[in-house]
Amino acid sequence: MAQVRKRRSDGRLLRYLILGTWALVCLLPILWFLSIGFRPRTEVITPQPIYWPTFSLDAWRLLTSDWPIALYLRNSVVAVAGSVVIDLILGIPAAYALSRYEFRGRDDIGFFILSTRMMAPAIVAVPIFFLFKEIGLLDSVWALMLIYAAINLSLVTWIIRSYMLDIPKELEDAARTDGASDLTILREIVIPICLPGIITAAVIAAIFAINEFLFTLLIASTSRAYTMSVALANFTGGSDGIIYNAIALVSFIAFVPILILVILIQKHLSRGLTMGAVKG
Amino acid sequence: MATPNLRKAPRPRRSPIMRRAFPYLLLAPAVIYLLAITLYPGVFAIYQSLFVVRFTSWTWTGLGNYQGILQDREFWAALWNTFVIGAIALSVQTFLALTLAYFAYRDPFIRGWRIVYLMPMLFMPSAVAFIWKLAFNDGRVISDILMRLGLIERNVDWLASIPLARMTLIVADVWQWTPFLFIIFVAALQGQDQEIEEAARLDGASWPKIFWNISLPMMRPVIVVAVTIRGIDITTMFANVFVMTQGTPGGATETMSYFIYRQGFRMFNFGYASAASVLMLILTIIIAQTVVKRAFRSGKN
Repeated sequence: MAQVRKRRSDGRLLRYLILGTWALVCLLPILWFLSIGFRPRTEVITPQPIYWPTFSLDAWRLLTSDWPIALYLRNSVVAVAGSVVIDLILGIPAAYALSRYEFRGRDDIGFFILSTRMMAPAIVAVPIFFLFKEIGLLDSVWALMLIYAAINLSLVTWIIRSYMLDIPKELEDAARTDGASDLTILREIVIPICLPGIITAAVIAAIFAINEFLFTLLIASTSRAYTMSVALANFTGGSDGIIYNAIALVSFIAFVPILILVILIQKHLSRGLTMGAVKG
Repeated sequence: MATPNLRKAPRPRRSPIMRRAFPYLLLAPAVIYLLAITLYPGVFAIYQSLFVVRFTSWTWTGLGNYQGILQDREFWAALWNTFVIGAIALSVQTFLALTLAYFAYRDPFIRGWRIVYLMPMLFMPSAVAFIWKLAFNDGRVISDILMRLGLIERNVDWLASIPLARMTLIVADVWQWTPFLFIIFVAALQGQDQEIEEAARLDGASWPKIFWNISLPMMRPVIVVAVTIRGIDITTMFANVFVMTQGTPGGATETMSYFIYRQGFRMFNFGYASAASVLMLILTIIIAQTVVKRAFRSGKN
């Protein structure tokens, strides 16, 4: 008996050792990078790394004076929020059709939608660049909005579809015998019930939109359409070299809202990330 | 169950044709949008790949670009690099995530602090690339720590050797995306029927045995789906290469995405880049039709 108990506490020790180590692996780089954001530039790249830097708001001053950071933030918000709205408008009816109706080609259409998620952005980068150049959409927030919407439409549709599949059919049948039309059922019953799924899809789509890098890099060529993500890459430009403390600060400005959003949908995250394949 | 606001008056039933068409009408906007953003670029890429494009002048070359690419060592290198970097990173993060999930899923406090494990994933990939670029190369932090531990004697130039440069990309990807697999695996393990594990436990089986013989086989479909999604994303790796290595040394870290980007937007060789895009598209379709389709089918049952 005593030996069993001892073995069990050994197991717990090992467990917390491993989990604790990984927690440090996750956190230390983030905390260290945060410290980069609040140190003078002279203490970022040095022959010997400085672990206890002097506190400084240099990066903040640089951001607020030399860079239109508010504009970048606004561009990000407009493009990301707009793309999520487009995704929901297109994705909810599509998810409803895929989850609720029997019709020819349903699985193929569903798989086509899913498969657009597998396209590497680089594959369509050149054609999209030419297309947007042709119709004068280069360097515009609207172009980014359309691209982000296209990238995320597949996962938004599939996540919402998975939540809609959970709704018992009897509920709709009851409403239908009451004389409700299909669209009324969608609006009054299905959407309210799978609201958690819709919110999850929206949050995940927003995160991926914020993260998008390649298209943003190609489409945004002046600060008119720079988002936070490309603004980052642009701090590397020119004779100044890479301005790490500004980069660190900007990445935290983007990190905080994402963290809050994810905490809000934590329970649904694994289901959302697998596009409904895992019900966590 | 109350159903408020529903019209009680019986409505005239729609015509059969309308009823048949209804689901298609619901799907049409999404499908048209996706076709516009995938089919159009696909056709355009195929067309453009038949030309040598220099700024505004297009010169017909037929299959010349393809001939060039198939003999281009850089193209094959990019394909190989994508595969090597992706395969190693994917194996490492799957192994790590499974191990961590095994230790975490029965922990009573995990719900409270799993957000800590998610944090790397919530950083913009470009920011993560900068973190590791600074840690490895510019700030020399990794070298410094390794020297303090007595593992190496002088600063390592991580971009000077092919395995080391690839390793920096792998570390960045593993650090950022192990959380993705971890959260999914934990959810899958917690979603499993506890009674089976309890029963095995009562029979005297040890937890590692239970995990290996019962839990792991039961969550196989989930592992397949999660690893497939992650695999797809790894093969499109771009931001890390763009920020951290730019393909150095000697193109050993250039991925397919970066190859296309470099041909198109650095060398303005658009016809050539399009031909590479078409080849990559064909590869994607083959993989989608085989691996991914099966993964998502099995994930549902």
